[in-house]
Amino acid sequence: MSVGPAPAPPSPESPRPAGRRAWLEDRLGLAGIESAILGGQMPGGASLWHALGSVAAGLFVLEATTGIFLALFYAPSVTSAWASVAYIQDQLPFGWFVRGLHSFGSSALVVVAGLHLLQVLVFGAYRRPRELNWIVGLALFGLTAMFALSGYLLPYDQKGYWAKLVEATIAGSAPAVGGAVQQIIQGGAAFGNLTITHAYAVHALALPAAFVVFVVLHVYLYRKHGPTPKWSLSAEQIVARTVPAWPDQTVRNASLGTLVLLAVTFVVVARHGALLESPADPTSSYVARPEWYALPLYQLRMYFEGPLEIVATMIVPGIVTTLLLALPFLDRGRSNRPADRPRVMIATGLSLVALAALSTITLAKDAHDPAFIKARAEERSKGESARKLALKGIGPEGGLAVFRNDPLNHAHEIWDERCSGCHALSGTGGDKASDLKGYDSRAWIRGFLENPDGSLYMGPAKLDKGMKPVQGTPEEMDALVEMVYAETGAPDADAARAARGHELVPQKDCDSCHDFDAESENTGPNLKGRGTLAWVTAVIKDAGHGRLFGEKNKMPKFETKLTPAEIDDLARFVLAQKIAL
Amino acid sequence: MAEPPTEARRAFLATLTAALGAAAGALALIPGLGFLAGPLKRATIRGADQPLRVASDREVQPGKPVRVIAVGQRDDAWLRLDHVTLGSCWLVRSTEIAPVRAFSTVCPHLGCGVDWNEKTGKFDCPCHASSFDLEGRCLSGPSPRGLDELDVHADGHDLLVRYQRFRNGTPKKEPIG
Repeated sequence: MSVGPAPAPPSPESPRPAGRRAWLEDRLGLAGIESAILGGQMPGGASLWHALGSVAAGLFVLEATTGIFLALFYAPSVTSAWASVAYIQDQLPFGWFVRGLHSFGSSALVVVAGLHLLQVLVFGAYRRPRELNWIVGLALFGLTAMFALSGYLLPYDQKGYWAKLVEATIAGSAPAVGGAVQQIIQGGAAFGNLTITHAYAVHALALPAAFVVFVVLHVYLYRKHGPTPKWSLSAEQIVARTVPAWPDQTVRNASLGTLVLLAVTFVVVARHGALLESPADPTSSYVARPEWYALPLYQLRMYFEGPLEIVATMIVPGIVTTLLLALPFLDRGRSNRPADRPRVMIATGLSLVALAALSTITLAKDAHDPAFIKARAEERSKGESARKLALKGIGPEGGLAVFRNDPLNHAHEIWDERCSGCHALSGTGGDKASDLKGYDSRAWIRGFLENPDGSLYMGPAKLDKGMKPVQGTPEEMDALVEMVYAETGAPDADAARAARGHELVPQKDCDSCHDFDAESENTGPNLKGRGTLAWVTAVIKDAGHGRLFGEKNKMPKFETKLTPAEIDDLARFVLAQKIAL
Repeated sequence: MAEPPTEARRAFLATLTAALGAAAGALALIPGLGFLAGPLKRATIRGADQPLRVASDREVQPGKPVRVIAVGQRDDAWLRLDHVTLGSCWLVRSTEIAPVRAFSTVCPHLGCGVDWNEKTGKFDCPCHASSFDLEGRCLSGPSPRGLDELDVHADGHDLLVRYQRFRNGTPKKEPIG
């Protein structure tokens, strides 16, 4: 049996405390502040249910704190947004952790705010005289959603870009004002720098300011009307069980808040921070899905095609919002007991089932869709390689320019510097050695066999006693081409035809110069594994090796001129010329 | 039924609330501050350390300093710039046969750009009126040291300068970055 004594507000008659405390008290009125902050009562007792609002507020503080840290390093523009987020994620100490807390913390905020809303619905806490606080709470929920929508774009990676594009287009589909609204959101007719500066200013300045104002209002009204006790308590029980909020309720708030924070931290660490996909690429066909909490709307849209689309994107959400806002004015019964409010409870229950069902449909469909799985896996590896390349620094074009750091591009520079004096690619380059465009392709090999001294092959090298043209029926030529082609390790090589080629080797006198055993040295190159990465690497290192071109070789040794990594990049570059044909 | 709210229990719950709150705050704040301190551990601005061609030695007449810019490669946080102005320096030659010397235009006091005053034959800082002679020595004003000299190499007629920045406001010349 207990009634905690509430701290009495100071009155002129009450005895004054002495010392430093009195000095501050005289100047600041601490007792008033203390009672305003900690002086609340919990009629009917403290509970974890009543902790949800405080936990949501705590998560907002987490978002604000991590958001300020992120803002210190983030640069909102098309060229710098992705690059600065990649820098935060991969180059700054704890950057991944701070960004992870911000990202997963926002998901936790949506969950906790949703549970808080549900608790208020079940407890009937929206009812008279708390109607306006219910509306303020809904506004806070709406602001939370807007935080999520605006924040999603900021990394300017694939998912942020495409999700925002879809949202902006939905806004644009609104009757009459849609086009103008979309242009304002985007800061113009299309996505660009102003889209990001707008989203950033809204996310980091306007929304926090609005949120704080509404939180103050929300807490003020909460303290004015007090918490709504559980419906099952009688009036006497409510009085009898009343405790001061400090510390009975606050310790519950802090405990639940800590648990939620631990869960968020666990997810952040387990996933090493939030996902960062590859830089936004407007030319790609990205399989866009919204964040988990918007999946029901995504799936709902599937059922309304063409002109009816607006039903899913605006009419249904509009009706639900209106009903929620009007709820305290529609539910005017006398009891908070859920059983006495069947319509509200049934509508709430059905809504939850609908939300869960719609999300599940999308998730289940995607989980069994090989195309979706493949697209996600490709995107993941593209994102990882983009982040790895970003470690080398990103050029002023930003974002997608990161792919210029790709080894193939680096190799192209080496090629221009070291190789193009003699070799050509599609006729561009030197005229002292073969043209390597399409090297390793069947067409290149065929051309070589038919005319080794052709201008694209060994002709420019002006070899003394080079290879003689191979002659044979079309079927024989196909077999020999396939035999050489199969040595490159190409997965599409026809094994039977290649075997037929090997049968022809003695007959066509290939074996007087060439071996196929990876060891023997002869006048022509040993063709085992010709065109594989290892083979091309060996040629770049020392083409004059006995197994390769031997005494006929004119190409310099690059083993000592390039680093092993450069030789590897260059070999891959040469192999990549196959598909470049 | 709730326990009787003894003072000890209340104090315990209050302490627990404060401790949990502090732990939660620390979880976000400590990594956040480590994040903020990142630039102390790893330079965010890095430039090429090699000498950069700034001028031909024929452009530098005795007693007539020439201001030239050093263009080179610089990493700025995530950004990599291959041709960017890193800074400028004064090229000075005292006599026809003397070697060319280079002084950073950054005033060692608080970092303004010093200018050559033809009338007085001195380098003047426009911000706090430090002045320096042709040898870079501080003649008057608050600058704690003379102008910062940069390494110059001659490659034929080309003058190559290794551009560097130094900490300002200290008597000692300490390179930064």
